[in-house]
Amino acid sequence: MEHRYAFPGVPTRRLVHISQMTEPMTVFDRALVRRRRERARAGYRDFAFLEEEVASRLVERLEDIRRRFPIALELGARSGALGRLLRANGAVETLVQADLAPGWAMERAAEGPALALDEELLPIADGALDAVFGVLSLHWVNDLPGALSQIRRALKPDGLMLIALLGGETLVELRDALSEAEIEVTGGLSPRVSPFADVRAAGGLLQRAGFALPVVDADTVPVTYATAFHLMRELKGMGESNTVLERRRTPTPRAVFTRAADIYAERFGLADGRIPARFQILYLTGWAPSADQPKPLRPGSAMARLSSALGTTEVAAGEVATGEVAAGEPPSGETPGVE
Amino acid sequence: MPGTDTAIGSETVTAVDPKLLEILVCPITKRPLSYDRARGELISEAAGLAFPIRAGVPIMLVEEARRLDEEPVIEPSVGDAAPEDLL
Repeated sequence: MEHRYAFPGVPTRRLVHISQMTEPMTVFDRALVRRRRERARAGYRDFAFLEEEVASRLVERLEDIRRRFPIALELGARSGALGRLLRANGAVETLVQADLAPGWAMERAAEGPALALDEELLPIADGALDAVFGVLSLHWVNDLPGALSQIRRALKPDGLMLIALLGGETLVELRDALSEAEIEVTGGLSPRVSPFADVRAAGGLLQRAGFALPVVDADTVPVTYATAFHLMRELKGMGESNTVLERRRTPTPRAVFTRAADIYAERFGLADGRIPARFQILYLTGWAPSADQPKPLRPGSAMARLSSALGTTEVAAGEVATGEVAAGEPPSGETPGVE
Repeated sequence: MPGTDTAIGSETVTAVDPKLLEILVCPITKRPLSYDRARGELISEAAGLAFPIRAGVPIMLVEEARRLDEEPVIEPSVGDAAPEDLL
């Protein structure tokens, strides 16, 4: 079931909000996530495109929210793309940049206050922040509901969280090709691509974490690569290769990757010989609850009659006005409204 | 600057933005931290951990923290957590 939320300041893109619980479990090896991110720093410049693209899309969403934020925290600051845009945007007075990898955090310290932190154990006092932003940092978190609720606690009343994370449609082609190749070559299957949150679950998570006015919208960053090998190399370059705890511990036979690249090209290949891939991005918006926020009125508390707004005559329940047909019951025979 | 390990020198190395000090708490207990300017550490008595500050950047990661019980006890803080609250 989909719900549309229209709330002031945020455009209606694809607004989905679903109450659905997912249980937290330890799926990811956080120490490995950190090492991957740290290691990716050296050659990162060539792989920054996704961070930069998603950062600019996130800031577009922020521009729709006319608000000033005296102090804000950025999670997963990496090479600083979002930080640069936020500083240029001017809505944030003091931006604190954080990353799981101390190397990245120390690099960001040249631009302002920075720290290393683990999103699973947020070291921020309750009610300390006006906003929390983040790009592609929370998809390797084991307990996403817990991380979100820690963010909510760190916000002042009516503080904003606006974060982008990878969605469940990310790299589906790669996942299919790898699974199939692994089964063919080794006769077994091991987890290779992160189980991402989907749009539906994300909305429920926001609500469960105690956010008011939760909104999730999604879009896609489509890319093409020469081969599946180029795609996998890029993931490694971004520091985003597999950190699933139950990943295969022995080296994968090279034949698995070769076969996967073939399957990928055969099944999804484009006319020009390249292969398409897509990153689905979920944008999660939520506000720390505050008494000033718009809330639904209590039933029966209306100050004006619907009938006067519509310019019709009110009919008491149980009676049927002459010449009218009850809603939802098409009259038999003639098409209504046609003479 | 090598060789100029003065108090002022070490302070500039470990100086933390005051705005950071205002918002930071212990990642485990969410209790206030004390700032050990001389050692360049943020100390969580309740968790028994000292988080390092490197070039002004607090490293709030448990695996990077120094365990306080690895050296003589400094002083027990008043109203501290029961042992089961400790990590």
